[in-house]
Amino acid sequence: MTNTYITNATWAITGQRIDLCLCPAAENISTLSLNEIPLPDIKQVEPAGQMEIPEQARVIDAAGKLLMPALYDLHTHIEIPGRSKRECIMRAGEAAIHGGVWGMLVLPSPSFCFDNGATLDSFREAATVRSVADMTPAGCISLGMQGLDQAPYNTLATMRGVRILSDGENFPSNILMLYRAMQYAEDLDLIFAVRADVPALTEHTYAHPSTTAYNLGLHPCPPCAEEIGTETLIRLAEAAGARLHLQLVSTAESVRIIRRAKERGVRVTAEVALHHLLFTHTQIGDYNTVFKTTPPLRDQTDCDALLEGVKDGTVDCIVSAHTPCSPFSKKQDFISAPAGMVMLDTMLPVLYTKLVKPGLLSWTELIRACCLKPVEIANPREQDEDTPRTAPLLLFDPQVSNIVTEETLACGTLNTPFLGQELHGVVTLPLR
Amino acid sequence: MKPRKDLITIESLSDEDIHTILDSATAMKEIFTKSVKKVPALKGKSVLTLFYEPSTRTRSSFEVAAHRLSADVTTFTLATSSVVKGESVHDTIDTLMSMKMDYIIVRHKNSGIPAVIARHCNASVINAGDGAHAHPSQAFLDAFTIREKYGDIAGRRIVIVGDIRHSRVARSTSLILRRLGAQVAFMGPGSLVPPKGHTGVARLHTWDEIFTWKPDVIYLLRVQNERIDSPFFPATDYHQAFGVTEERLRRIEAQGMSIMHPGPVNRGVELCDAAMDYENCLVCNQVENGIAARMSILYHLTPGTLSHD
Amino acid sequence: MPQLTSTDISAALEQWADRIAARSDDEPLGLVGLISHGDELARRLTTALQKRGVQAQYGAIDITLYRDDLDLRKERPALRSSYLPFSTDGMHLILVDDVLQSGRTARAALETIFEYGRPARVELHCLVDRGRHELPIRADYAAFTLESAEKVHVHLKETDGEDAVLY
Repeated sequence: MTNTYITNATWAITGQRIDLCLCPAAENISTLSLNEIPLPDIKQVEPAGQMEIPEQARVIDAAGKLLMPALYDLHTHIEIPGRSKRECIMRAGEAAIHGGVWGMLVLPSPSFCFDNGATLDSFREAATVRSVADMTPAGCISLGMQGLDQAPYNTLATMRGVRILSDGENFPSNILMLYRAMQYAEDLDLIFAVRADVPALTEHTYAHPSTTAYNLGLHPCPPCAEEIGTETLIRLAEAAGARLHLQLVSTAESVRIIRRAKERGVRVTAEVALHHLLFTHTQIGDYNTVFKTTPPLRDQTDCDALLEGVKDGTVDCIVSAHTPCSPFSKKQDFISAPAGMVMLDTMLPVLYTKLVKPGLLSWTELIRACCLKPVEIANPREQDEDTPRTAPLLLFDPQVSNIVTEETLACGTLNTPFLGQELHGVVTLPLR
Repeated sequence: MKPRKDLITIESLSDEDIHTILDSATAMKEIFTKSVKKVPALKGKSVLTLFYEPSTRTRSSFEVAAHRLSADVTTFTLATSSVVKGESVHDTIDTLMSMKMDYIIVRHKNSGIPAVIARHCNASVINAGDGAHAHPSQAFLDAFTIREKYGDIAGRRIVIVGDIRHSRVARSTSLILRRLGAQVAFMGPGSLVPPKGHTGVARLHTWDEIFTWKPDVIYLLRVQNERIDSPFFPATDYHQAFGVTEERLRRIEAQGMSIMHPGPVNRGVELCDAAMDYENCLVCNQVENGIAARMSILYHLTPGTLSHD
Repeated sequence: MPQLTSTDISAALEQWADRIAARSDDEPLGLVGLISHGDELARRLTTALQKRGVQAQYGAIDITLYRDDLDLRKERPALRSSYLPFSTDGMHLILVDDVLQSGRTARAALETIFEYGRPARVELHCLVDRGRHELPIRADYAAFTLESAEKVHVHLKETDGEDAVLY
């Protein structure tokens, strides 16, 4: 059996040049690691030029390419309105691999309402068959994501291996229900993934309070709603002894609140959507519905504080917040159009082009926020087994650039802000 | 002016466009003095009024304007159509376009709807008010009324009083007046006036500040309780705090300031009864000028050309 | 390019005023100029008639909204304000234009003027008649006839700085 060799690859974290010998697909997973990051695909590693390569071996010259663990995404919606579940699963999987994402946490949605064992079972089965990427479902916090009655956490956690609970991004309308759920779930070691909000303050709001909101006549969404919600959730989790994961943190003050909570030892983790690092409300321009998001795009000072939070670890992960929306729905007026953008397809090229290349984020910080921390939080497992899954490796060629077109998008919809734009970097995943 | 299909916002117009439309409005108003109050400029053209929000005044004003230009007017009655049943705007427009309309006049509660319609069809689309976004024909009639009264708008001071936050009139009218060189200030309670950093317009806090600032025109906005989901101000306070009371009217008279209001006036809320009879109350002029301004807008738009918005 | 000078035009206006003064009816007289240029000519004629002791009302109309070619243009021409501060009922109106060519402007002017009232009679006078009529409309009086000219440009002091007809 011939092995495949990769020569001259650059290990993204240290910049070290290395040669690798890949495990053949049939072989067991290796126990090698670099910088304490497991290299499951790799049988042998040597400094560049020092590997003995048999003559008949297949050799991939990776000069100029980066080797790094693939990304894990803690925030995806895979439902494409109007399409079959099969197609939704297949397309999200393809899009993820294309963007360098090996696995994802799938949040519940109307078609994938993970509030019972049967739905979880059929989803896992379908995902195993249809998806090229790993898909871990998040169980519902409340039945039907309605925010009123608790989902059967024991069934979800002990029988179906659910580790994270989420009602999509809905804030529970009954906060007492959430408090009791957190108390109930104490011994199940579940993580409550919630987007902080005070719905009464954000209902019928569409943009950050700003010149944009005023000029376009869009009712402003006060940042204090998220900040009050953040405080509330932290106190609630603290009081109930639950683990909390704050979704889609979007304001500078939220970052400060989380920093203080972490300092006093609260078991809280947080994520930021990639679009909240990159864009401000000014992108909405003349009602560009692609930039309609929940929470809304905010000010540059918020973007800066969020990025700072990612760099110092206050914000643990960067997520795609991938949300497919049909082209027709996004052609409606700004108020009627659904919120969200698709990001999986372009995840790593966007991270590289917009953050790493301009020097705003290091590879080490990116790998922590997009590869290691999310896996640590989601802790994805083989079905019916206790072995944690580990990230495969990918090769990233920063020299090549591509223009994002309808043809290059596998996700099934077009609501990406990068359509027609040039992005740097091409992902090779999987390597074996 | 350059060929233009739609009128969605004041922002999209050049200074020259604004002056051309205002100048032509003067010529249009002259038509009202003829024994035949009609010109054949839009003969054979069809105008559709598509109002998703009730507004007898604006709608009638556009209809009279279209009739005086000899256009045929169709009123799309939404109470009896499927529009209220959740039919998408796109499907409604497809239906309307098969009727080969030349001009569509739209009012909708959602900011941004007229722009969506304009992109979607060949007809000239005129925004007759969308959410809290824009009301360009009101801006023109207001500017026209002030120009008629004072000769020139540049250097004039106008204070707009009331619910700025929800008002498309405040947005469009303040914008056109500033483009024409006027100084504009907003006055109202904190819950109804966004910060200066967002509006770019200075904020006055009290009537005393208004009288010190010495505006030429005091523009009262209508209190629209029906638009507001939860109260932004205690309703019983309004007249005393922000309305033109009899006492304030005396000071307004003494300083010779003009009063404007987009109508319909809530008597005893924005304006006391006596204010309506005040000689410099320009509310009726605004109504008459609305027709002239809308005739000018209809005349200057050319269906089928490229959209600038 | 040959041209008529301000002296030629002044002399023509005097003759023109004489001709108007010599009218046979006794209806009240109104001179209505077509904007632009026609209004200036009408104003000068009114003054010239006053010197002859003939009272005439002065008015000016913008016929743009009555043009038959509005739809053929991409761009809508700017409008000018008409000025007709008298009732035209029962009057003897003289429409004054600078150049009569196709007759289309004159047609629009007739339509315009009849929407102000019912004049007793309407005449069409122009500074230059250059033939090439496309409608059954003829001038009752033309100061100059330049039927062979390729192009005719009328310049007036008030709008163009000097009086001249270039052709």
